[in-house]
Amino acid sequence: MTSQQRAGVAPGLAAAPGSQWRYARLGAIGLAGGLFSGLLGVGGGVVMVPLLVLWAHYGQRNAHAVSLGAIIPISLAGVLTFGAAGEVRVWEAVALAAGSIVGAQAGTTLLARADERKLKLAFGVFLLVVAAFMVVGR
Amino acid sequence: MAGVLAGLLGVGGGILLVPFLVLAVGMSQHEAEATSLLVILPTAIAASVALRRRGVGDLPVALVIGVVGAVGAVVGALLALSLPADVLRAVFAVLLAIAGLRLIRDARTEQA
Repeated sequence: MTSQQRAGVAPGLAAAPGSQWRYARLGAIGLAGGLFSGLLGVGGGVVMVPLLVLWAHYGQRNAHAVSLGAIIPISLAGVLTFGAAGEVRVWEAVALAAGSIVGAQAGTTLLARADERKLKLAFGVFLLVVAAFMVVGR
Repeated sequence: MAGVLAGLLGVGGGILLVPFLVLAVGMSQHEAEATSLLVILPTAIAASVALRRRGVGDLPVALVIGVVGAVGAVVGALLALSLPADVLRAVFAVLLAIAGLRLIRDARTEQA
């Protein structure tokens, strides 16, 4: 990628002075995302996307894309570590991945018609309810 | 069926998969986190390939960030494995609560 193309992809990145610090930042963001992912079993994007936008000057869309790419090695490392401890339920994961492809198709249709503000509100409340259940137990 | 429900909830790589596995499927916190990561992996691959085809993002940079992140992931996973399930669950609940509160706050400050 030429530096001009790179500027289109990530304007802040090509222009940032002190490029060795740029790499250090990206590394730090990756490390934070990885720690979060391994500890909680999530992708790590919830930490990486805001950091990529605010600290590494990526646009929102590119930040999401870079985060998703980083999640590939990150989640693999997590799977292998948990797997070594015998915690991974492989068949359940396969079933869920297959089902979620189907569900995602239906979900995106519904999503396209939804009112974003109401959706956020409902989802936010839902997350709080789930949090409560997690603490209280089944 | 559970997978379709999970997909509908947008859970493919999301924050709801672990609680779903714990509360609806009955896994332990550690099993749920481990299994969730195995669902997230192919999801991330598929999404990255699709985005790359559209010229969005920077996959080589992303993978380099990810390799550094992989070290963090091993540390994080080892930490998770060393914590008792109820402590880990409480930490996760705090994450959910923060995410939920932020969404509610965003919704309220957004123009109707």
